[in-house]
Amino acid sequence: MLHHLTVTAQHSPELLERVLRVMRHRGFSVQNMQMNLDSDNQQVELHVAVASERAIALLTAQLTKLIGVTAVSLTDRTAEPKLAVV
Amino acid sequence: MNGAHFVVKALQQQGVKQVFGYPGGAIMPVYDALYDCGVDHLLCRHEQGAAMAAIGYARSTGGVGVCIATSGPGATNLITGLADALLDSVPIVAITGQVASPLIGTDAFQEVDVLGMSLSCTKHSFMVQRAEDLGSVIAQAFEVARSGRPGPVLVDIPKDIQLAAVEHACITHSVSEPDAPELSDITAARELLGQAKKPLLYVGGGVTLAHAEAELRDFLAKTKMPSMTTLKGIGTIAPEQYAFLGMVGMHGTKAANFAVQEADLLVVAGARFDDRVTGKLDEFAVNAKVIHLDIDAAELGKLRKADVAIAADLKQVLPQLAMPLDIDDWQQHTIAMRQEYHWRYDHPGEAIYAPLLLKQLSDMAPKNTVVACDVGQHQMWVAQHIEFDSPHDHLSSSGLGTMGFGVPAAVGAQVARPHDTVIAVSGDGSFMMNVQELGTIKRRKLPVKILLIDNQRLGMVRQWQQLFFEGRYSETILTDNPDFVALAAAFDIPGETIVVKEQVQPALERMLNSKGAYILHVAISEEENVWPLVPPGAANDKMMEEC
Repeated sequence: MLHHLTVTAQHSPELLERVLRVMRHRGFSVQNMQMNLDSDNQQVELHVAVASERAIALLTAQLTKLIGVTAVSLTDRTAEPKLAVV
Repeated sequence: MNGAHFVVKALQQQGVKQVFGYPGGAIMPVYDALYDCGVDHLLCRHEQGAAMAAIGYARSTGGVGVCIATSGPGATNLITGLADALLDSVPIVAITGQVASPLIGTDAFQEVDVLGMSLSCTKHSFMVQRAEDLGSVIAQAFEVARSGRPGPVLVDIPKDIQLAAVEHACITHSVSEPDAPELSDITAARELLGQAKKPLLYVGGGVTLAHAEAELRDFLAKTKMPSMTTLKGIGTIAPEQYAFLGMVGMHGTKAANFAVQEADLLVVAGARFDDRVTGKLDEFAVNAKVIHLDIDAAELGKLRKADVAIAADLKQVLPQLAMPLDIDDWQQHTIAMRQEYHWRYDHPGEAIYAPLLLKQLSDMAPKNTVVACDVGQHQMWVAQHIEFDSPHDHLSSSGLGTMGFGVPAAVGAQVARPHDTVIAVSGDGSFMMNVQELGTIKRRKLPVKILLIDNQRLGMVRQWQQLFFEGRYSETILTDNPDFVALAAAFDIPGETIVVKEQVQPALERMLNSKGAYILHVAISEEENVWPLVPPGAANDKMMEEC
């Protein structure tokens, strides 16, 4: 099943590795990804499509725990964010 | 002041008096700062030993352990210790030297991307990029390590940052308070408690991590609910506690494993439905609704759906759920099971019977004795047959199952609690994994006692080969072990070997009464297995027992 996530986080050099590692390890395959950095290089917004047979809540709970991650939201293709996890 | 001196000052600001480590090129400025700073550094003989000593220090005190290593191999040698601390939620801070900033990414001598390696085995990790960040990073590292669900934090510091000039400043990091539990969740949980006829408390290591042992005792006193623990929960509930059933799971008690299958409500406090606890998950506690309490929201619903899930500090939530329950019949039933399925120590023949040996040790050891286990059969026998008054007295690598944990963890505990008896219970396989730490015991003249249970096998693997691999004993026979007493003697540690039951009592007395370190080498039969055993893929009430 495909899920669309938006992850907002404080920028750090290894942030992308942290987020992607959790996705892989928890059983979610990245299908599509876009990363935006704000103008003063402080904040990152990641838009990621992940596929898995596992419940998406298992992933959002783990991403939410990462130090520096400030918000994780789940969207579908037609709707605005409907679940603010943090 | 340079960055290295600043690091040491920052450690002191965190109240650190003891660190464990091993020096090397990229961490030399920090070791220079440690030379005369007043923080006690204990040289371990391998960085893995230093990490596990820090874990032993943290677990035996409830504080934060600190270990230090150099770049490259020093850092990679810490990794198993970090993973161990992550799986068991132990607050440690590891400080590693890194090659100088301009050399990072050039494959310099002893350069490894330890930040990258740390991502999967720490709660968080930092690489310090500016000397002026050192204070805030160290303060954050301690805050992250001990807050919420504790865990290991790595701070990697390039050598040029250690040598850079830094202004000293007192830096702290604010402690974030966990959210209070929602009233609606508390109400829902109390409703389930009120409806339950067969409730059972399932206690994990999270209770101790939350410093909520007193709240748990009050909860039990009010509810009189039968209870059981995980491996990490051992010591949280006094063995004589009303309707306490012991450890649940693969090598748990029959009373706990039968009771959990009968329960109609599980109150899960700081535990996580680990596979060694649940057996076949789909058949675990099938009749029970679940109230799951944990500071880590990610554990709620991860493996078992909870009817009421509360992500909160157990210290806050347990008192709100403490209420008298009308469960007399269930209490009496579980007490009867506990009496019916008690451990038996009658054993034919002259050979030493490990469960009885550990029961005798439990009866003879002074109060507040710390036992640090290695991993394998002896670890399960310790969990089954030694009674603990405090979870800080039982150090066992539970989540990662790290062979080699016992001796260095005992070193850390003995340094932390110099006036208490500390015993490393090891097996002949595990003992050889970190045998170099005998040098650390000698160096500090630590009075660590070592009880080495030797079956000349990798016993737990051998047991599984016997039961599940048609007796094909692939690489588990250790008849070429060294002379362990002679080996210990090379480190000025006296000891003896015993082989028959009648030698046990006086030998344990000699070990416990020895002023310094001591090794008691105990030969047992390779045929001895750990019972009961929930076989892989089976429900908890389908235990195998000795024929």
